[in-house]
Amino acid sequence: MFAFLKRNTKLLSHDDYRAGHVGFHCCNSRRLKNIRGYLVNIWANVGLASKIGADYDKIIIDEPSGFLNLWDGFPEVYFDDASSWSRAATAEPNRATETGLSIDPDWTLADAPLLFDPVNSSLTEFKSNHLQMNETVVISVDRPERKITKIIQFFKKRPMSDDIEFRQMVSQNYVTKLAQIDGLKGLVLNFRDPDIDSAIRDFYPDTAWHFSEQGQTERFQFASLWDGVIEMYFDNIGGFKEGRIHSAINQELLSLEKNLFSSVWYVEVDENVIIIPNRNPAPAFYHR
Amino acid sequence: MFKAFGFIKRNSNLTHDEYRAGHAGYHNSFGRRLNNIRGYILNVRSNNDLACDYQGSSLIDQITIAEPRDFDNAWDGYGQLNFDSVDDYFDARTPALDRAGKNGLEYDPMVAKVGNDLEYLYSGSPFQFCVDESVQLPVIRPEKKLFKVVQFVKRPHDLPAVLFRSYLAGKYCSAVSNIQGMRGLILNLRTSLDIMNGFFTPESEGFTVSGVNRRELFYSLWDGIVEYWFEDADSFFAHRTDSQLNSYLHRLESELFAASFYREVDETVAVIPNRNQPNNFYHR
Repeated sequence: MFAFLKRNTKLLSHDDYRAGHVGFHCCNSRRLKNIRGYLVNIWANVGLASKIGADYDKIIIDEPSGFLNLWDGFPEVYFDDASSWSRAATAEPNRATETGLSIDPDWTLADAPLLFDPVNSSLTEFKSNHLQMNETVVISVDRPERKITKIIQFFKKRPMSDDIEFRQMVSQNYVTKLAQIDGLKGLVLNFRDPDIDSAIRDFYPDTAWHFSEQGQTERFQFASLWDGVIEMYFDNIGGFKEGRIHSAINQELLSLEKNLFSSVWYVEVDENVIIIPNRNPAPAFYHR
Repeated sequence: MFKAFGFIKRNSNLTHDEYRAGHAGYHNSFGRRLNNIRGYILNVRSNNDLACDYQGSSLIDQITIAEPRDFDNAWDGYGQLNFDSVDDYFDARTPALDRAGKNGLEYDPMVAKVGNDLEYLYSGSPFQFCVDESVQLPVIRPEKKLFKVVQFVKRPHDLPAVLFRSYLAGKYCSAVSNIQGMRGLILNLRTSLDIMNGFFTPESEGFTVSGVNRRELFYSLWDGIVEYWFEDADSFFAHRTDSQLNSYLHRLESELFAASFYREVDETVAVIPNRNQPNNFYHR
């Protein structure tokens, strides 16, 4: 599940938001029950276009203007199934106290409306774009003991193309070619679930902003900008430039992109690894 | 990079698995917010016994030298802290500016207390020390739980410390780093640098006579820790038993170690160590 979040702009700068999200907020949310993986991606302070230069414009198609004004970060959370996610906020004992292991009375996610874009009519709610993603790990992510470069490729299907055929073309023809990029340290394809409520049904109450007319409209507008994302990991930006833009396969990729996508663009994010995703069965004990 | 280990014995109010939850859950959630922390790992002693719970477990008896009795009564887990400098380590326990409040970002004093749960989670003070680290094979972590083995080694009295380090970091680690399926290999030698004073309060158990004795007894059992990461248990057992390698390692171990014994640990990566230069923004 991805959750695109805009910071509370009245209270926090982008860098303040980083600290509040990765610091206090994750201190609590990393203890969500049965969570199996947790990454927080925050857009880099220097845009990819300025890092890459003029070549950036050659690899994008119709990037929506002001896209980064719509969000500051997006966590990725992993659970074994939807019911584990919908029950994730159930408190469980994980604090040692005088009487042994107890439920932490101070455990809270109440900082969220101060950290994220608040709903004006509510002191307790915040706006978010929680979206269920259908994921395919193309190249397993291997993380070294240093920060690696993560680039998110957003793409939108051409309007006239068939959904199933589009997914097949992206999953097979396009991503197979993309995986040939030299220097990739991980490649993950994600199609957005067309149902924008699938990640929050049974998680938020029916009365939540997300299900209001305004919430539905705003969330639909955001989701309709793209149909999927590809996560790419490199040693550094140079790896992306050399492996993609200056490579022999660049023309083939551009050609495929022109045929498949009405929009395609890229955002570099700083990945905070809160819990390394564990794709194997869960251990029989508390583990993060 | 400054690196510290802190060995912990659980509070008697907790079972080993309850201790896990309290440490990997609440405590790590605060520890990962320590100011300027560059890496934070928790290793909890596995519920599995390497010497009998795996196919190939008989290997452990063959490669163990003079394991101390009741060693596991002294610890349930150990944490690893990385900072850029020892000064950053001592300055880490201050309130953190990382909480969204009504007036913007606010300081959280609970970070300075690392959750304030030490007396309920631990039995006495951690045995906290600085290690002289040598990364023999950089750790690469996939998106699954790795099999991690730690080898406690003790220097023979007649082998000078400088030669012990040289041989261990050189020919010994060079040989074991050839084991197939290995995802990381790090050698850690305990140093005598005092990093307890100034980090724990003066009234802590670790500064009492019995606390000092408890720690010194534990330290007398080993001088270094070799950490191994493997794809899975089979990788360790299958490849460590390679006869040619095993024979060579056996000769080396007879010369280099007064004691050598192994444990499996379950690793929680609360902050992936970042060995490159720090970012100019909050990052974990």
